[in-house]
Amino acid sequence: MSHTLKTRIQQFALAVAFSLPTLAIAAALPGKPAPDFSETDASGATQSLSDYKGQWLVVEWFNKDCPYDRKHYDSGNMQSLQKKYAGKNVKWLNVISSAKGKQGYLEPAEAMSEAKSHDMTISAPILLDTDGSMGRAYGAKTTPHMFVINPEGVVVYAGAIDSDDSWSPSSIPGATNYVAAALDAGMSGKPIKVASSRAYGCSVKY
Amino acid sequence: MFTCPHTQSKYDKTNVIVWGAVWVWLILALLIFLPTTSKAQDTASGDHVTVRWLAPDTFSANQTERIGFYFEVDPEWHVYWKNAGDSGAAPRFKVQPDGATTGDIEWPFPVRLPIEHLTNLGYEGNVAYLLPVTPEANAKQLSLTVDLEWLVCKIDCIPGFGQMTLTRPVGNKANWKANDLALRDQFLKQVPSTDSPSPWTVSNIYALDETKLQLNLKAGGNKTDSIPTVFPLDGDLITAKQPEVTQNNDGIQLVFNRVPGANLTTDTDMIITDGQSAWPLSQIPISAAPPPLSNESSQPLWLLVLAAFAGGIILNLMPCVFPVLSIKLLGLLETPASKRVHEAIAYTAGVLATFAALGGLLLLLRSSGNAIGWGFQLQSAPVILGLIALFWLMALSFSGVFEFGNRLMTMAGDQRGGAFVTGMLAVFVATPCTGPFMGVALGAAAVLPATSAMAIFLGLGAGLAAPFVLLCLSPALLNRLPKPGAWMETLRQFLAFPLYLTVIWLLWVLGRLMGDSGWLIGSLLMLTLVFAIWLGRSQNQVRRWTAGGIALVALVLAFTSAKTIKPPSGQTTASASMWQSFDSTMIQQARADGQAVFVDYTAAWCITCQVNKKLVLDTEPVQALFKENNVLLVRADWTHHDPAITQALEALGRNSLPVYAWYAAGTNQVELLPQILQKRMIRNLFE
Repeated sequence: MSHTLKTRIQQFALAVAFSLPTLAIAAALPGKPAPDFSETDASGATQSLSDYKGQWLVVEWFNKDCPYDRKHYDSGNMQSLQKKYAGKNVKWLNVISSAKGKQGYLEPAEAMSEAKSHDMTISAPILLDTDGSMGRAYGAKTTPHMFVINPEGVVVYAGAIDSDDSWSPSSIPGATNYVAAALDAGMSGKPIKVASSRAYGCSVKY
Repeated sequence: MFTCPHTQSKYDKTNVIVWGAVWVWLILALLIFLPTTSKAQDTASGDHVTVRWLAPDTFSANQTERIGFYFEVDPEWHVYWKNAGDSGAAPRFKVQPDGATTGDIEWPFPVRLPIEHLTNLGYEGNVAYLLPVTPEANAKQLSLTVDLEWLVCKIDCIPGFGQMTLTRPVGNKANWKANDLALRDQFLKQVPSTDSPSPWTVSNIYALDETKLQLNLKAGGNKTDSIPTVFPLDGDLITAKQPEVTQNNDGIQLVFNRVPGANLTTDTDMIITDGQSAWPLSQIPISAAPPPLSNESSQPLWLLVLAAFAGGIILNLMPCVFPVLSIKLLGLLETPASKRVHEAIAYTAGVLATFAALGGLLLLLRSSGNAIGWGFQLQSAPVILGLIALFWLMALSFSGVFEFGNRLMTMAGDQRGGAFVTGMLAVFVATPCTGPFMGVALGAAAVLPATSAMAIFLGLGAGLAAPFVLLCLSPALLNRLPKPGAWMETLRQFLAFPLYLTVIWLLWVLGRLMGDSGWLIGSLLMLTLVFAIWLGRSQNQVRRWTAGGIALVALVLAFTSAKTIKPPSGQTTASASMWQSFDSTMIQQARADGQAVFVDYTAAWCITCQVNKKLVLDTEPVQALFKENNVLLVRADWTHHDPAITQALEALGRNSLPVYAWYAAGTNQVELLPQILQKRMIRNLFE
C-alpha cells in the first residue's frame, strides 16, 4: 500500500471518527502528515508548512553552541548538504527552539547574522520558536534533529543527521548521512531505507 | 608511544617547527629515563572530567585482566552508557595495544537520567569503563595507547578528548594497589555478566502496536517480589524513557516506547539489573504482534466470543436498547409470517454490518496508533446531539404528537430497509451500555490481532440480534404474544417515556461534554424540531417548506456549535472532592509510599458507572471506609477522549467501562472489581 493511499485512509478514518477533538498526534512521525506550523522567522515574516506544499522540505533544529551543531557546521558538512540540495530545489528551514535565556537562544538580529556567518543556504531566515511550540509539535528532542518532508506534506525521515554520534568532525566521512539518503531515495521515487534513527545531539533547550 | 612527533610532522615544512620537534624529542627521550614518567600520560582531563587508569602495577602472564578508565566527574555532570539515550553520547576508546590483546569495552549498568524533556542513560558520579587486556605469550612488557573522546553534560554538553598510555611489566602475578583494585571490582560487579544465572528470564518481546514494545519477564528464585530495571541497547529502536511496568501472576510486563517510525529488527539486546548486579538479555527475538491470547493468562478466543455473545443478548434488556427493540417487536406483530424471515435477515444484517463497521473503525484507528477504546463514538458532541434529535423524534411520534410517527413505524416495521436501519440503530444506542460479560471480551479485542478482535465484535452483534431473530423464526414463540389490538397503541405511548428518559440522559452527557452550553444547544434543537413539526403539519406548501428549512438550519447550527465549543476546563470531576482526577504519576507515587489506591474508570455516557457511583461508591459508609483506611481515590473520567486513560485501561487489559482497579497498600498486585459493584465488595477489600 502506498504511503499516500495509507495516509488517505487514515485521514478518512479520522474524519469519520466523528471529529474527536484530541486525536492530534504529538510528533512528526515518519509516514504521518507533518504537523502544521506557523512561526515567525528572524526577519519577522511568518513561515508555515503550507508555504512549502508541493516541495521537498528539510527542517533542522539548531543551537549554535551545541558541540554537535558545531561538528557539522565547523566542518562545513551541513553547509555543503544545504547547498547540494538547494541545487535540487529542496527547501530547507532552520529552527531555534531555545527559550530566552537558554543556550542557543538568539534575538532576531543575531539570528540573521548567525545564518550569514555560518554561511547557511536556507530557504527563509532562521525560525525563532522561542516558546517551543513548533519544537514540541514536531517532538524535536535534540539539535540537530532533522526532519525530511515530502511534497505531499508527509514526514519521510525523522532523526539524526547521520549514523555516527561522535562529536568529532573526523567521524563525518565514515558515517552514513541519513538525510541525504532519504532525499536521494525519496526524490527518485525509491523506498527510504532508514526512516528514523536515534536523534543524537544536545537536548533542545525548551 | 609519543604523539608529538606525529602531530608535529604535518608542519615539517617549516624549519622552526622541525627544530622544535627535535627539542621535544630530546626532552621526551630524557623523561623516559626518569622514574616518575609513568604517570605523565596516566590521565586525561577536560572540563568537569578527569580520567585515570585503574590498572595493576604488574600484569600476570597469560591471564586476562580487566583494567579501568576511571572517569571522575564533577557533581551533577554526567558521562554516558553505551546507549546514551535521547541525547548525549557514549565515550569512545581507540585502543592500540603492544605486547597484549584487548577485548571490547565493558560497560557497567547505567541509571536513567531525566534531563528536561529527555531521558539519558549514564552515570551519577564517577564511573569506570573496563577493558579486558591479555598479555601476549612471552611478553615481558605491555603497553597501550588509547585515544579517548567523551561528552560530559549537565544540561549543556562539553566534549572532551585526550590520549592515555600505559606501560607495565608482565610478571608471574598481577600486582594491584588495593584502592584501585577495590574500585575496579566495584564497577566490574556492575558489568552485565552471565557468570551467575539471571533471576529473570525473558518470556517474549513483541510489538504491542506501532509505538510500543512489550517485554514479558518471568521471575525466579528469591526475586519474585522485586521489580528489575531494564535498559535497551538499541537506541534506534527503543527510547530510553522508563518503561511502564506491571506485575501479575504471569510475571513482569515492561512496555517500552519505540522510536517513532523505526522498523522492527528481528531481535534486540537489553540488560537487566537488580541494582547490584546486571545480566545481559542477548538477541531476544522480537515478534511483530502480540501472541494470541492462548496462554494460561487469558481465555481462549471461543470463550471470549461466547462471552461477547452472552453480553450481546443481555444488551437487549438495557434501558437504551429496549425501546428501540420494542418498536421493532410491535412492527413484527403486524407483519405477516411469510415476511418475518426477511425481517430477521435484514435486522441481523443491520446489526452485524454496524458492529463490523464500528469494530473496523476502531481497529483502523488502533493500527494508526491512536489510543481509543470502545464507546469512543460517544466521546463526540455531534454524535450525542444526533442521538438526542433521533430519540426526541421517536419519543414524540410514540406519544402521537405528529403523524410522521406512522411513517416511521411503517419504515421500521414493514420494509426490509427499515429492519436494517433498526439494526443499525440498536447497535448505535447500545454502545454506552456495556453490560456484564462484555468488559472482558472487549478488553481482549483491544489487544488481539484484527481478525480475532473482529470475531468478538461480530459475536457481540450476533448476541444482540439473537432474541429478535428467535422471535421471527419461531411462530410458536410469537404466538404467545398477545394478538394485535388497541393495547398496542397504549404500549406504544407508554414506551415513549423510556425514550424521553434517554433524551434527558443524553442531554446530561452533552452537558458534561460541552459545559452549560450543551444543555442550551440540545434543548433549543429539541424545541426547534417540535416547532418545525407543528409548522409542517399544514397542507400549505410554503409552511411545509419553511418547516423543513427551519429544521435544517437548526440542525446545522447545533452541529457546528457542538463541534466548536469546548468544555470549560477543570469542571469534569468537581462533583465529589474526595476523588482526585487521574494522574498516573500521582498513583505511582502513592503506591510507592505504601498507600492503597482505588481507581474508578468512569464516563458520563456509561450508565452502569453512574449507577455504581450513586448506589455504592459515593455513599457515606463507603466513603467513610475509604477515608478510614487512607485510600487514594482516583476518578479517571473518560467522558472525553483521553489517551492517558485509554493507555491505563489497556494496561489493565480493558477498554470499556466501568473498570474498578484496586491496589492494596504495599502490594504490586492490581485487583479488578466486578462491573456491577456492591457495598459488601468494598467492605471485603479491607477484611
